[in-house]
Amino acid sequence: MEPFHYLLVLLACLLVTAPLEWVIGARVYRRPRRLALTLIIAMTPFVLWDLVGIARGHWDFSARYTLGLDLGGVMPLEELLFFVVIPICALLTHQAVLRLGARVMPRGRLAREAEELGAVDPATSAVRQDVPRA
Amino acid sequence: MPEYTLLTVVAIVVVVVLDLVVVRTRLLTTLGFWLALAIMWGFQIPVDGWLTRLDAAIVRYDDRHFSGVRLFLDSPIEDFGFGFAMILATLMVWTVLGRRQRSAAQDPPPAASHPTAS
Repeated sequence: MEPFHYLLVLLACLLVTAPLEWVIGARVYRRPRRLALTLIIAMTPFVLWDLVGIARGHWDFSARYTLGLDLGGVMPLEELLFFVVIPICALLTHQAVLRLGARVMPRGRLAREAEELGAVDPATSAVRQDVPRA
Repeated sequence: MPEYTLLTVVAIVVVVVLDLVVVRTRLLTTLGFWLALAIMWGFQIPVDGWLTRLDAAIVRYDDRHFSGVRLFLDSPIEDFGFGFAMILATLMVWTVLGRRQRSAAQDPPPAASHPTAS
């Protein structure tokens, strides 16, 4: 199991956050285009930072605990997946916080933020929606 | 200053300036962002710890390139700054893309702004 240590923790992150989408209704996976664009735009600088860190010897990766599939001979596959999984968890968490907040206190601060950030369905929102959503 | 420490400080300054001044998503002024960040930092302790714990380190840090301060399960303190920058950047881009979609649905671009061949 040791070579799967890194991959398994990423899978655990996806499993733990999955209910945020399918129980709480975060609508992150259900916006695949926006998600893909977000990952590409937001994570490119951090992947580059990671490559600089590797090149400058700030950190390296244990061959014992990774699969051994090194992209370009430098970055383990799991490390690239890290930059897909963690931002997804962050988006799910934020959307879930806004939705839950809006549900518990429909006129509270989180409800207002959810409205502004488009994190709630207009039909269920307590705040009047001026713009019909496509 | 060690390089990882320096890069972390620079990254934090850049995302904060982008959020508050340049892109003006102003997530740092929202309650939702800080609640989500607190939850994410909470989960970062075991997850990052799984990667960094010195008795079975998956990612191995060179002590010369960070502050040397390790928190919880041997995670370099810089990792929490890296996480902060990564999370804010992600939510910022997601927000901007959503805003663009919403405003595109709201106001179709006026025909006059498109020069037409004549």
